Amino acid sequence: MGAMIIVKHLVPLVIALAVPAVMVSGWLTDAEARLAVEEPRQSKAITATVAEEGYCTVELKRIVRRIAGACGLLGEQGRGCRPADATKVVSLQGEEFNALFLPLQDRVRIIQYDMGAAELDEGALRAVEEAWADRGGASFFFVVSRASPEGSVDKNRELSESRAKAVLDHLMKRFNDPDIERQVGLLWLGEEFAQLEDKFCDWKRSRTGEKCDAKDINRSAFIAWIDCSI
Amino acid sequence: MHDPGSQLAPSPIKDSQPGSGDAADYTVEVPKPRTPTGSYGAPAPSGGRIWPWLVVVAALLGCVYSALSTHSFILRLDGQTHAVACAILPGDADQSTGCVTALLSPYSSVFRASMWGGIPISLPAFGVFAFLAGFAAWVGLKKDRMRVDTGFLLLATLLPVGASAFFAYISATRLGEFCSTCVGIYIASGLGFLFALIAHIRTPRTPDGVGRWGRWFLWFFEGAAIVGTLVLLYVMLAPSDRESVARGCGELVKREDEAKILLKKPDPAEVVGAAAKVSALVVVDPLCPSCKGLDERLFASGLGGRLDLDVLVFPLDSKCNWMVKSSPHPGACLVTEAMLCAPESAHRVLEYAYADQARLLELGKTNESALKADLEQKFPEVKGCVGSAAAKAKVNKSLRFAVANAMPVMTPQLFVAGTRICDEDTDLGLEFTLTRMLDRSSSVQ
Repeated sequence: MGAMIIVKHLVPLVIALAVPAVMVSGWLTDAEARLAVEEPRQSKAITATVAEEGYCTVELKRIVRRIAGACGLLGEQGRGCRPADATKVVSLQGEEFNALFLPLQDRVRIIQYDMGAAELDEGALRAVEEAWADRGGASFFFVVSRASPEGSVDKNRELSESRAKAVLDHLMKRFNDPDIERQVGLLWLGEEFAQLEDKFCDWKRSRTGEKCDAKDINRSAFIAWIDCSI
Repeated sequence: MHDPGSQLAPSPIKDSQPGSGDAADYTVEVPKPRTPTGSYGAPAPSGGRIWPWLVVVAALLGCVYSALSTHSFILRLDGQTHAVACAILPGDADQSTGCVTALLSPYSSVFRASMWGGIPISLPAFGVFAFLAGFAAWVGLKKDRMRVDTGFLLLATLLPVGASAFFAYISATRLGEFCSTCVGIYIASGLGFLFALIAHIRTPRTPDGVGRWGRWFLWFFEGAAIVGTLVLLYVMLAPSDRESVARGCGELVKREDEAKILLKKPDPAEVVGAAAKVSALVVVDPLCPSCKGLDERLFASGLGGRLDLDVLVFPLDSKCNWMVKSSPHPGACLVTEAMLCAPESAHRVLEYAYADQARLLELGKTNESALKADLEQKFPEVKGCVGSAAAKAKVNKSLRFAVANAMPVMTPQLFVAGTRICDEDTDLGLEFTLTRMLDRSSSVQ
């Protein structure tokens, strides 16, 4: 009788223990089995890398690499390429060279200069800074400067070199960034190679709203980050 | 001693004969108490019989909610992310935010440093409710229910009520939100107490009898045994063999901060001296809720004080981060700019962003200028810098630190002495994993 009473008291309590115990042990066993299957686990997140946009064709990357190598970024032979070097480096006709940059229209800023001058005006300074800050995942910043055909070839060569270097000097002064040494490539073309057509007046210019023709657009430096893994 | 058959007899008078009840005198010989009317072990009034059964219902409700919470917790022991059961009624809209917050908070389990994830507090709750259901069922079945029985039942229901009050306070003051299943437990606890109180009041007053304390002790022991057995079972069966804790998930390959974009996280407690600290790097997005959660867990655990912590800001916002195609945390780029504009105030900006994340996220989504103005008003030192080319360049450098170290594109991440803690070990398993990594690093030093 006493045993019956004990049983009557204990049965609900045994059930109260058994049900949670069975449930919890089942869940734990399942968790252990899943853990054994999953480990070692690979992160599903992508790995942080530099940008590689669709316009990074083999041809574009080859040219950028050659500019970077031949024009002083990858070695110690000094920075920048002259027009004579440029034609050898890119191994392209002027139009073909310009066509490579058409997909970068949103990235490029065209810094404009006065005739015969290499000083950056206020709009140009702002455009250079904006272009540099708009880096994203790009690895290489290029400055391709030109001169309009007025004047001598030699004079225009020097002028375009000064224009490219004015951009570089401002970047170094403004940002004091060691990456500038490693990632900015200069290519000055004078009037000899790859002159821009006036359709480039529609691109983002430092003198937006001002008159622009084929001569104006070639008194310029073409600057942009290239979103390619070089 | 007693005639168990008499308990089936229909007459309450017969039931109330001395020795006819099953008042748990299987352990202690107790003379049947005399009721005010002079009978022994008088049954409860017929209307009072339902109340213990209502306690059973409330306890079973508590079992359901605590089982759901326990199940959600155990699901995470495999290190994966699972949906968290978080509806008060079946079919209710899922309100899992509060449940995830509660689940991942330092208050969801105990002994986290000793075992991966610790022991979920919902597990003893499950045991307590199961015991209450069993005990109340026994009281409900008793024909000669006495106040000594209902008194213990009433006392026992106070335990979940007290625990519910404590955790409701924690939810309101520390977590800032309530999880639905927790609210279900609070309701079940309150109802259980209410029904037990009525059951007790409706049970005729009888003398205590000499064995009251002995019985209560025994019943308390029974309840403790149920809870203890469940906890023991959990400790024995919980997965313990984890490769991730031993090996980590990658190393920092380029620790030098040439661009000076790593920010110092001050230690609010200064538990140990700088020399005894282990270098660590936390990768966060100021508008990422998980980062806020990690920060809270890190410092609530006390382990944050053992770290010499640098912060790498990695906004998951496509406005500045080319590695994400959308913006899970719009506005994060601007907040990051503010942090990098004034490194000495960066931790205050981060605390502000964590504290007001929902509003800042909304501003980032709908009105970035307002977000910028908000930051400049709160932190005047960043005025003129946020939005500038220099600030954007710094954010870019911060992102490039992640590229240089081939980090996964995600937040939060925690590196201790250069070793990355695996993602699955940064929530429930953080204290366990971090304790071991810190011990390893200390022994190497």
